[in-house]
Amino acid sequence: MLEIKNIHKAFGKSEVLKGVDLKINKGDVVVILGPSGSGKTTLLRCINFLEKADEGHARFGEIDINFKTASRKQIHEIRQKVAFVFQNHNLFNNKTALENVTLGLIIGRKIPKEKANEIGKKALDKVGLSDKYDYYPGQLSGGQLQRVGIARAVALNPEIILFDEPTSALDPELIGEVLTVMKKIANEGTTMLVVTHEMSFAQDVANKVIFMDGGVILEEGTPNEIFRSPKHERTKQFLKRVIPEFSYSI
Amino acid sequence: MLDYKFLVDTFFVALSGAPIAILITIVSLLIAIPLGFLLALARLNKVPFLNRLTQVYISFIRGTPMIVLIFIIYNSAPLILVSIFAKLNIKTNIYDVNPIWYAFIVFSLNTIAILSEVFRSALITVNKGQLEAAQSVGLTNTQAYITIIIPQALVVALPNICTATTNLIKATSLGYAMSLQEINLRAKVAANVGYNYIEAYIDIFLVYLILCMAVEYGFKYYEKRLRTYKFANT
Repeated sequence: MLEIKNIHKAFGKSEVLKGVDLKINKGDVVVILGPSGSGKTTLLRCINFLEKADEGHARFGEIDINFKTASRKQIHEIRQKVAFVFQNHNLFNNKTALENVTLGLIIGRKIPKEKANEIGKKALDKVGLSDKYDYYPGQLSGGQLQRVGIARAVALNPEIILFDEPTSALDPELIGEVLTVMKKIANEGTTMLVVTHEMSFAQDVANKVIFMDGGVILEEGTPNEIFRSPKHERTKQFLKRVIPEFSYSI
Repeated sequence: MLDYKFLVDTFFVALSGAPIAILITIVSLLIAIPLGFLLALARLNKVPFLNRLTQVYISFIRGTPMIVLIFIIYNSAPLILVSIFAKLNIKTNIYDVNPIWYAFIVFSLNTIAILSEVFRSALITVNKGQLEAAQSVGLTNTQAYITIIIPQALVVALPNICTATTNLIKATSLGYAMSLQEINLRAKVAANVGYNYIEAYIDIFLVYLILCMAVEYGFKYYEKRLRTYKFANT
């Protein structure tokens, strides 16, 4: 459904993406792992045109797009299909939770207000915030804020949702509630591309794991393949640090 | 010691100049707010030519005392206008042009520079992520600015706009240098008759004080309304 070829991105002199190819099918839950600086976040942001890639092609269903020469109209089209969940939620501070979720629908997609509110409330219900429709971001906890962010993405009914380290800025106690929501929408068949350090999510929910380092994809496969039998030395090194070597549980 | 009758009478004389001060303030603000905002955007987005031009313009205004700016414009604008009138065949005598038009030019130029810096600093306080989030839900930049960014920037900008407005009102007092019939000049003219300068100055001071306090009050009210989202507490 989404195919990316040869994406390159440099910030000034440092090359962050050195030619990445990626293929995602409908319903896939893809997790991208890797050390910081490996280009995972940049990759995500390039897909959504929050950063402008220097080179590369994307094929989205029937739409063919060149990252370098994409027109505003094409970018707008892509953004209709691709939703983004930020590490720092980036909720609109001057809007209530419901308004946050419906703003894109009402103004961006010209959906009438009643219909948009319906969709928005459903999305907020799905993430477990039915009692917080009229709360402002300043009144919500970190986990709640991130869940509103997810609701905002879900309400757009996109073809794929990009998650940029959604739980990295959260208290350990609040991570759980966000992961639960993500697991729920994954089980509903949402196509997701997730950059995260939460190995449990990668192992339990993902059907494809990608390991990135130094701006390239070093290894990719099913969670079993990557976690049980990593092939690349760097992958083994990374996983050793992040997952205990042996774990016993009775 | 003070001539109280004169004090009271001259108060209203001074007050009669207030409409001019208010008019200049309003016209300058109406011109400076949109233009100042555009210049702020040009600076923030580093638009190639406009960025540098704006910086030079702002430095020029910042470095020029108001009274000097008035002298410059009051002495040069008529000459420029004469040649424009000649080219367009307008048959107005340059000496018949009401000084208020020069006042509009001077105070607008000054306020544009000030407000562009006010807006630039206010826009900086809004997190870049707000624009990114707006873009990612499919808003155009213009829509994002109108619904998300400007409202948030406004909370920070308002106190500074209030200051700029009161400064503008007070600066109109320099209009006497252009023979502008404003508060200062009118009261002083009345004072010249019997040399009651002290009373005149008290009245002038009172009129400005009232005008500025009214402006402050208005801004405070608006500020309070805007801040509901920031300090919403349940």
